[in-house]
Amino acid sequence: MQGALEPPAATEAGPVTRPSAVTARDLARATATRRRRSASLKLWTGAVCTLLVVVPVALAQVLPLPGAGDQDLSKRRLAPLTDGHLFGTDQLGRDVLSRVLHGGQVSLTVGVLAVVVSGLIGIVAGAAAGYYGRWVDAVVSRLLEAQMSLPLLMMLLLVVALFGPSVTVITCVIAIAQWPEVARLTRSLVLVEREKPYVAAAQVLGLPRIAILARHVIPNIVRQASLVVLLLLAQAVLLESALSYLGAGPQRPFATWGRIISDGQDYITTSWWLVTLPGLVIVLLVVGVNLLGDGLRDRTRRRTTEGSR
Amino acid sequence: MTRIPYAPALSRRSVLRLGAGASAGFALAPLTGCAGPTGAPGPGAISLGLNRSLVSLDNKLNQFDAAVTVQRAVRQALTRIGKGLRPELVLADRFEMTEPTAWTVRLREGVRYSDGNPVTVKDVSTALKMYAGVNGSFIVGLFPEMPTVEPVDERTFRLHTKRPVPILDQLMANILISPAAGNRPEELSGGPGSGPYVVTSANSGTGEYTLAVNPRYWGRRPTVDRVRVRFVPEESSRVVAVRSGELDVIDTITPDSAEQLKGLPGVRLDRTSGTRVNQLFFNFRKPRGHPLADARVREALSYAIDGEALVRDVLTDSAQQAEGVVPLALKGAVRTGAYVHDPGEARKRLAALGASDLKVKIIWESGEFPADTSVMEAVLEMLRGVGVRASLQQFEPGGDIQQWRQGRRGDWDVLGNGFSVPTGHASTSLQGMYGGTPEKERTRDTYQGYVFPRIATRLAEASAETDEKTRNERLAAVQKQIWDTRPCLWAFVPDVVLARRTRVRDVGLLQLNSYDLAAVRLEG
Repeated sequence: MQGALEPPAATEAGPVTRPSAVTARDLARATATRRRRSASLKLWTGAVCTLLVVVPVALAQVLPLPGAGDQDLSKRRLAPLTDGHLFGTDQLGRDVLSRVLHGGQVSLTVGVLAVVVSGLIGIVAGAAAGYYGRWVDAVVSRLLEAQMSLPLLMMLLLVVALFGPSVTVITCVIAIAQWPEVARLTRSLVLVEREKPYVAAAQVLGLPRIAILARHVIPNIVRQASLVVLLLLAQAVLLESALSYLGAGPQRPFATWGRIISDGQDYITTSWWLVTLPGLVIVLLVVGVNLLGDGLRDRTRRRTTEGSR
Repeated sequence: MTRIPYAPALSRRSVLRLGAGASAGFALAPLTGCAGPTGAPGPGAISLGLNRSLVSLDNKLNQFDAAVTVQRAVRQALTRIGKGLRPELVLADRFEMTEPTAWTVRLREGVRYSDGNPVTVKDVSTALKMYAGVNGSFIVGLFPEMPTVEPVDERTFRLHTKRPVPILDQLMANILISPAAGNRPEELSGGPGSGPYVVTSANSGTGEYTLAVNPRYWGRRPTVDRVRVRFVPEESSRVVAVRSGELDVIDTITPDSAEQLKGLPGVRLDRTSGTRVNQLFFNFRKPRGHPLADARVREALSYAIDGEALVRDVLTDSAQQAEGVVPLALKGAVRTGAYVHDPGEARKRLAALGASDLKVKIIWESGEFPADTSVMEAVLEMLRGVGVRASLQQFEPGGDIQQWRQGRRGDWDVLGNGFSVPTGHASTSLQGMYGGTPEKERTRDTYQGYVFPRIATRLAEASAETDEKTRNERLAAVQKQIWDTRPCLWAFVPDVVLARRTRVRDVGLLQLNSYDLAAVRLEG
């Protein structure tokens, strides 16, 4: 579908005289055009930044790099671009790039698993609360309010201290920490959706409520909800890094981003790269994922708006 | 030509802009303080940054190295361990062995507490009873038996033991004397002391204390008026703080931090050989039949460790590989052997002993010794290099590693642990680590389950020998026996390193990783 403000396409016969005082220049400078361009820019920048991190992390095993744990004590703390070490070496002579990429696998796995689990919990709980209302809504709403009132990092540290720092525990903890965001959004989307005529039609046809929710309502809100889940990925990666930084991450010798930075901070005045380069990788991923999510949200919003016209 | 008049010099918009700018300037001005060091100690005061929280200025329950400096500045003992690990007199002016099981002690004339009351013989006898009344006291564990006090006159008394304790003068350096009326079998949080400083503010939760000169101090008045003690757990934060001048002295620093601070203007490093041994100690609670219950397997594993590389590269030459079961700086310590790196030999011996597929779990608490995580990760790779499947479990301070050490929580194979004794004598160290008996093991009060009754008996006999030459000969023989049991995967003795601002002078760093705060001078 062509947008209402799209300029008419030029024909082969030459430029068409516009029947309006609004010039092509005005259209190009219009807010809607600027927004569309901005969404596109965000989308591309986000995708590039994310791929710059995710692709090497995913291919860490096949890249011609030393192992993340391979030590060479005689090559301690080599500066970047020395002896074939792009990111330099750490305090035990391990290749920092390799550790960052392998560490990224742990951090990203935890992040992705956590957002998938939190997304599922959030969508199911939020949809149930929004659609069924009454006591279901009361229970879910009070639960998520109670959880959101707790200091997040303190809660995570407490749970990790109780159950021990393993990848499974950390994934579950982050997943449980993030479900309220998704649940709140899903609930509000479902509240709008359940009042629409197609839901009433399904009810008249005698479909069970659970079927209406699962087959008709959720598919209509899942795209918007999943965008929030994508934005939560960046937060999950940051949380995992924070936990590792504070010593509550997976046990050594797992290299996680937080731990690489935590170990490197003792050398910050003499070996800047041990902290700076892993930090930049985290920044790149988080900014990339956020821009990507923002861009997708803007595009979805525009399509919805255009579709409703 | 039409002349365009000048715009008004000060338009309303300009005034608003100027106003907004000035307001922002005023609002943000305090932030400029962030650019410089915060909390600098100020003139006449020094600031110490400890790596562990000083929960109390008493030592009945526990005592870590850095705490000794501060504790002794407030509370004192009859003696102290001085330069060359020799005992020096403090509250006593006479401390002599007059019989094999009796020592005659005389309190120094005029010694008194910060409230003006004199130190009495009753205070000493009460202090000994109170220390003995504490369950699980580190200090009491150093004594083969607690002495009893027999008063002779107002200032003189005798200390009696059932068996000879030839190093009682060194052991008594750890019994801090407090007024009898206020002494309790627990760590005291307040009350007067006889030291050169008094506590003016204390927060045991955050480990922050402020000390001021004791106006009634019986000895020479300290030159530094005020001392601020802070707990700064992060090594990097302590290094940054000493660089910026926020802290004046930081102790127990890692080799890497020392390297960062070396040669910096305004910062000096003090270094001396240490008396603390850091070990990768085997779990001696393994059931019979377990590979690690066999000394030959333990020895084979030790061939996997490249100690020279660890000392040279990870510890940057600020430590020495252990050549005995206790540090050689201790009196009575002897060389018993050396750790040899030979991965081929390790593989061959492990295969011959049927332990090729050995799994080893190493546990330790963060900060137990310098560069602990680097050492552990390096050891992990070295063990993997000889085919051993090794794993690490790191505990944060305040965790439940104590339960693990006692075998009450989970199984482990090697413990990263540091052991130091505040007496400067090998016999205390040997008894603390290797004097375990089946009776002690019932309450899990042995050193990682090390129970060899024959060694414990010979140690007790040697430690009770009053003739120094004979005692040292017997101790040397026991140390060789202990070495043959291969208690450690690897061990090293780190140097004691302290960093200070150059305005802090006369820090006489002792081998026990402490110094006399009253002797410190301040310039500027």
